[in-house]
Amino acid sequence: MKRMTEAQLSELEQDFNAIRDQVVADLGERDATYIRRIVRLHRTLEVAGRITMPFGFIPPVFVGATLALGLSKIIENMEIGHNVMHGQYDWMNDSSLHSQSYEWDTVCTGESWRRTHNYEHHTYTNIIGKDRDYGYALLRLDDDEQWRPRHSLQFINYILLSVFFQWGVGLHELESERIRRGEIRVKDKLPFLKDFFRKGGRQAFKDYVFFPLVTLPVAPIVLAGNIGANLIRNLWSSTVIFCGHFTQQAETFTEAECEGESRGHWYLRQLTGSSNFTGGKWVHLLSGHLSFQVEHHLFPDLPAHRYPEISEQVQAVCQKHGLPYNTGSFARQYGSVLKRIAAFSLPDRIRTRLPALSMAHAT
Amino acid sequence: MLAREKPSKALRWLGKQLFNRENPAAFFDPLLESLNPMWVRGYTPARVEQVLKETAETKTFILKPTQRWSGFEAGQHVNICTEIDGRRHTRPFSLSSSPVLWQEQGVITLTIKRLPGGLVTNWLHDRLEVGAVLGMSDAFGDFLIPEPAAPVLFIAGGSGITPILSQLETMATQDYRAPITLLYFVRTHEDVIAGSQLNALAARYPALTLNIVATHLGASPRYLSDKDLDTVPGLKARKAFLCGPRGLMELAEHLLRGRGIRQSDIHCTFFAAPSAGLSDQAVGGQVQFTESSLEVGSQGDANLLEIAEAAGLSPRYGCRMGICHQCSCRKTSGTVINRLTGQPSGRGEEMVQLCISVPQGPVSIEA
Repeated sequence: MKRMTEAQLSELEQDFNAIRDQVVADLGERDATYIRRIVRLHRTLEVAGRITMPFGFIPPVFVGATLALGLSKIIENMEIGHNVMHGQYDWMNDSSLHSQSYEWDTVCTGESWRRTHNYEHHTYTNIIGKDRDYGYALLRLDDDEQWRPRHSLQFINYILLSVFFQWGVGLHELESERIRRGEIRVKDKLPFLKDFFRKGGRQAFKDYVFFPLVTLPVAPIVLAGNIGANLIRNLWSSTVIFCGHFTQQAETFTEAECEGESRGHWYLRQLTGSSNFTGGKWVHLLSGHLSFQVEHHLFPDLPAHRYPEISEQVQAVCQKHGLPYNTGSFARQYGSVLKRIAAFSLPDRIRTRLPALSMAHAT
Repeated sequence: MLAREKPSKALRWLGKQLFNRENPAAFFDPLLESLNPMWVRGYTPARVEQVLKETAETKTFILKPTQRWSGFEAGQHVNICTEIDGRRHTRPFSLSSSPVLWQEQGVITLTIKRLPGGLVTNWLHDRLEVGAVLGMSDAFGDFLIPEPAAPVLFIAGGSGITPILSQLETMATQDYRAPITLLYFVRTHEDVIAGSQLNALAARYPALTLNIVATHLGASPRYLSDKDLDTVPGLKARKAFLCGPRGLMELAEHLLRGRGIRQSDIHCTFFAAPSAGLSDQAVGGQVQFTESSLEVGSQGDANLLEIAEAAGLSPRYGCRMGICHQCSCRKTSGTVINRLTGQPSGRGEEMVQLCISVPQGPVSIEA
């Protein structure tokens, strides 16, 4: 990471604070109208998907219904749930859009998400050993973690994680790697597991039992469509999230670097540990504006639809301080994620000798 | 809080299973709201039927709440929720109509005076139009007509007349069998709210003695005095009901206590403007943590999270720097300064982040 003096960091802090203050001062009806429109879009898609799914014996209807339900889940998880739970709309004082009471349409409970994502991941972003989102304690994505033989097959793990992403996210707080290492006991995690099974049970009951049962003659079609919708959401959200921190340019940090850090250093770490990808309006909406991961990590509680608007200002601050602003096309960023997963599945002595993977040097 | 429907147990279960919420109907609210806001199930909607001008500064809003609203007793209040520039604001107002009007015609009235500099009252006056829909709470408050009938003395000041209007209408309709005196203090005669309604009441309801006092006619103000109380027959046996600005209420309470009226016979209610005097820089104050029944004082710019922890509470928290919203709690009253923006909050009920909120004067927190 670029070294900056305390004075430079303090200037960086002021520059980013200025962007933040300007948006906060401008929050109002436009943001409320925006998020309510998205909520209506979600409800419309979900109702449409559920109603048309039983007619899925007509192939085009099946495709349409599955897509509608899949999109509704993506929008609810990414643009509504994730962002609302960050407190982006708390200022509206609307209890249906409040961070602490929102419960989203996925296996992971809102409570667990607020702890592991809002607090741990967003406070300790990319600090190896503290940010458990880094590789999800499943993948080796950095040479700070020692290579082990099981890492050679981590690409398979990655694919499995993507397919069952909502279950993986739901189980994240179990900290299975620490249980394996004997640092904590399963018993300590019983309250978490109870919540996990309750919420996971609900999600499975709704999509795989309730809606197929109420449409009994066509139950297999509804079941297949619901599985398809969940799969679409899982693959997409996993892909978006991996593009956010695991591109080859995204930096990692050690605990020592971040001890007692200033707000300026925190900004710097958020900036250099995140990566954006470009795309059309719909790409941004469906990614919950995590395509502006840099802006999101700098300002996690500003309404996400504001990120495209402040992107230029953020880039100007980066330029002023000679800092990288990590962005690229979706294909390029995702390609570099896949490369990173592949590269670090190899022992370092082989990895560093392969020219094709030379970009994947240790950070 | 706004009034919420309590769905049956089975519906709550289904709501949790299918929509991750207790009230399954509320899932459809965003769609229903765009079709007809009165169909909303998540809170009690009330449509503005008519707006009447009472004085230069006071308007009466005639509202039609949805039929499932639970009604009220004379003298009670409701919280009204408005959305101003994307933000929801909740404020209590007295119901000025009689419950009979709600029972017979399904409407209620709120009589609201502009507060100088007040965000919500001015918005209601300037922007609220007939046909708009507001959120409404269940009625609350114990400023109620005595049962069984007993002699009553009302002392009202300015817009403090509103809950008393509801009570007088109700008493007249019930033919409440006890002497009633109203001492109504206004600055000038132009400031009398519902003057013709009061005169009509006095005319058709002989038990009521009406005395409207203008305080600012002469060179020096003429406030409530012992002389006014001398005009009330059988004062000692009266139940007193006070509603108005803080100064009037304190004066009235003092004079009545001096006349040997018991504290338990003096009922007060007031929604006055906040007492001015706190400078922008003054921070610190008494903090009440309602769920833990704990009250502690704070000085300087200690934030609510630090204050709670110093008091031995352990509220949920995360980053302690205003990022993660783990520590957000409901503030029920009082003003806090946001440490990040330096901006003061509103006085009403809203969520605040404990770790960046510094109390300014007394604050109540649900924690």
